[in-house]
Amino acid sequence: MKKQTFRRICLLLSLVMVMSCALSTTAFAAGETWTVTCPWAPDGVASLVSQKAASLSTEYSDDITLVAEAIKGDAATVNTWVLDNEAGDTGLVFVGEGLLSITATMDPAKMQFGYEDFAFVENLYSSVFVLSADAKLEINGIEDLKAFVEGAEEITVATNGATGSEAFLAAALFGSMGAGDALKLVPYQSAAEAAQAVSRGETDFAVSHQSQILETYNQGGVTVVCAFDEGPIENGPFAGVEGVGEYGYPYFRNRCFIMARAGTDEEKVAELKALYDDILADEEVVEWLHDTMLLEVDTMDVEAVEEHIANVKGIVEEYIDIVQPA
Amino acid sequence: MLQHIVPASGLLFTLQNILWINIGVFIGAVFAAIPGLTVILCVILFLPVTYSMSAIPGMMFLLGIYCAGGYGGSVSAILINTPGTPHAAATMLDGHPLSKQGRTKAALKIALYASTFGGIFSALALLFLGPQVAKFAAQLGTPECFMVCVFGLTIIAGVSGKSMIRGIIAACLGLLISCIGSDPMTSYDRFTFGVGRLYLGLDLAVCLIGLFALVEIVGRAEKKPDELHMDTSKMRDNGVITKDEYKRMARPTILGSLIGVIVGIIPGTGASEASWFSYSQARNLSKHPEEFGHGSVEGVAASESANNAVTGATLIPLLTLGIPGDGTVAIMLSALMINGLNPGLSLFTTQGDIMYAIMLGLILVNVFMLLQGKVLTPIFAKVVSIPQEILTPIIVIFCFAGAYSVNKNYFDVAVALVFCVLAWLLRKLDMPPVPILLGLVLGKMTETNFRRALLISNGNPSVFFSSVYCWIFVGLIVLAVGTILRGKLREKKPQAAPAAKEE
Repeated sequence: MKKQTFRRICLLLSLVMVMSCALSTTAFAAGETWTVTCPWAPDGVASLVSQKAASLSTEYSDDITLVAEAIKGDAATVNTWVLDNEAGDTGLVFVGEGLLSITATMDPAKMQFGYEDFAFVENLYSSVFVLSADAKLEINGIEDLKAFVEGAEEITVATNGATGSEAFLAAALFGSMGAGDALKLVPYQSAAEAAQAVSRGETDFAVSHQSQILETYNQGGVTVVCAFDEGPIENGPFAGVEGVGEYGYPYFRNRCFIMARAGTDEEKVAELKALYDDILADEEVVEWLHDTMLLEVDTMDVEAVEEHIANVKGIVEEYIDIVQPA
Repeated sequence: MLQHIVPASGLLFTLQNILWINIGVFIGAVFAAIPGLTVILCVILFLPVTYSMSAIPGMMFLLGIYCAGGYGGSVSAILINTPGTPHAAATMLDGHPLSKQGRTKAALKIALYASTFGGIFSALALLFLGPQVAKFAAQLGTPECFMVCVFGLTIIAGVSGKSMIRGIIAACLGLLISCIGSDPMTSYDRFTFGVGRLYLGLDLAVCLIGLFALVEIVGRAEKKPDELHMDTSKMRDNGVITKDEYKRMARPTILGSLIGVIVGIIPGTGASEASWFSYSQARNLSKHPEEFGHGSVEGVAASESANNAVTGATLIPLLTLGIPGDGTVAIMLSALMINGLNPGLSLFTTQGDIMYAIMLGLILVNVFMLLQGKVLTPIFAKVVSIPQEILTPIIVIFCFAGAYSVNKNYFDVAVALVFCVLAWLLRKLDMPPVPILLGLVLGKMTETNFRRALLISNGNPSVFFSSVYCWIFVGLIVLAVGTILRGKLREKKPQAAPAAKEE
């Protein structure tokens, strides 16, 4: 081997070693390491908040280090997680109403798990979905929406995916307004695509998280009609937008439950809950969730979780025929 | 814009940023050179590292990985006939034959120079035309996206090899395989046969490992040991690119960069589509189309410039509209959001310095990619002289590790093996594997846009001709088909002439 080549290889190896050392300092920490699996897109809201929480775990605990990972796959990823983890294992996973209420009702065969396989730790956040409309339609509130629905032969709504939370919220709103037959759900591959579709007039409406429609709204492409919540949005760029609950229409928030495997030591679960509560009470996190992600800190207990799952299940069962006609 | 350039330069040109760019470029190039380890996977893995950084160094690190990943995929494509990433598959068609001719260093250099040009071209497009281009991209709706896909499918003719019929059959097979998984419009399962993991569809990177990497190994296993040894001692690979070759590279590189920018700004498309479009156009416009597939410098330059030109273009909708241009950029969005930056035009007024620092940084990333590439090329080129009995098991290990790492699941390893068997059978039937890949790349996108457009128009096909952009794409499709037919007729003429003489 030539000297020059040998030197180059040595240089390359040293570089790799230095970088590995630098990176490993972030990967290894004292205490127990809990891997938090997010079964949705790595660029999604849940994964992002999980990463943020994990990056702060060592500040609030000497014993527990949270490591966030995202393995896109929804039910398939949770199936694998349930198979791979036993009670007492240091693994956490996210589940939400999408799996426990929607998939469990529409396609239970996809799930090799149930709510009973988990021990609830904490709710990571709460997100209020909003209905946005093509700006040209000039629909600025629920009264405008009612007038539009009365005269419309067809109502098109862009949603992220065909049978997700967004699709059911649209079905529940227009279904309860008596326009279920006129509703046409147009599924897109992402919330960003759905937001763009409504702004260029491809559909009349879109349902999305607030943060996902914000830029399109700022550029004047859409108006925000209503929020899928009990009352009006209290703060942020959409403050004052009416909640559908005020008019008696059904709604639910998007929540992300952090779960341990059922049977995990209750004290450990309580310790994890306390850690998450501390992180979620951090002012920087609250501000970031609020201002950048347009989400809310919404810590919950088991009863509230079960109530949420049952509420969404009820909506799914009532409006399934609109989302997925036989 | 000008008022932001000076403060942005001040924010960008720090030792910390330059260090992170270089670390990112190195990691991206090496990672992408390993089959199965895609750029998106690399960005996901290293994303948590950026959470302790501020926005600019974090983005510089990730952009380093992203851009160098675009180039890195070509390394294994050229060296071992296995694209490191899906978007380097087109580079493989001419890069590896060049390497086999004893011009490994030259092939790597062509890929590097074309990648750098494409990267800088798109970074300049982002810097100077970002908001205008984004507004144009926002006009492209579902019917226009379908037309882009149809245009993409015309490439099949160019990569079908000796028989177009066989190419079309292979492409149809790819399109059929792309249907596996949940129906994107209804969520009903298709071709899953009750297998849980199939609900998600098949990952392109995993299919690629089976189709190109593992089947290559099986192919080697069929050969006699004497046939495997490449006599590298006789190869004088000085890495020189001749003046004539530089001239020939120019047009496909510029055109490829332009195609890369256009494809990159359309959300949902990405580097794979861009490199195939560019490769196909370069072949159609070349004075030497017969060289394509046999070591054409134009082919390497076209595909590499296009897949790297996507890097800056995908950032255009992200930074101006908050819409990620592709999956990797969507993950990079996290690095901005975790720092409290919600991308969009409004951010240009509130945080203009940071936005322009990121855009300027993209140029810097490409410059460092060129410098590192120049140092690494001779080292990479040594791979061809590694004895096969050492190299082959290493490739196999990387293939299986790569397949597993995509979803951290052994199921994907099995999928890679199934695709290996399929590719081997197709090889025996003399069917080209590249059209299958094209079918996989374009299948879901074509189907989704086709069905969604018809859903919106209540089944009226005139939706596909409803805008001026649709008509532009119709024109391009007609042009592409016309060029292909002309080429096929030209190929037939010389064959027909000797036949007539014999008569």
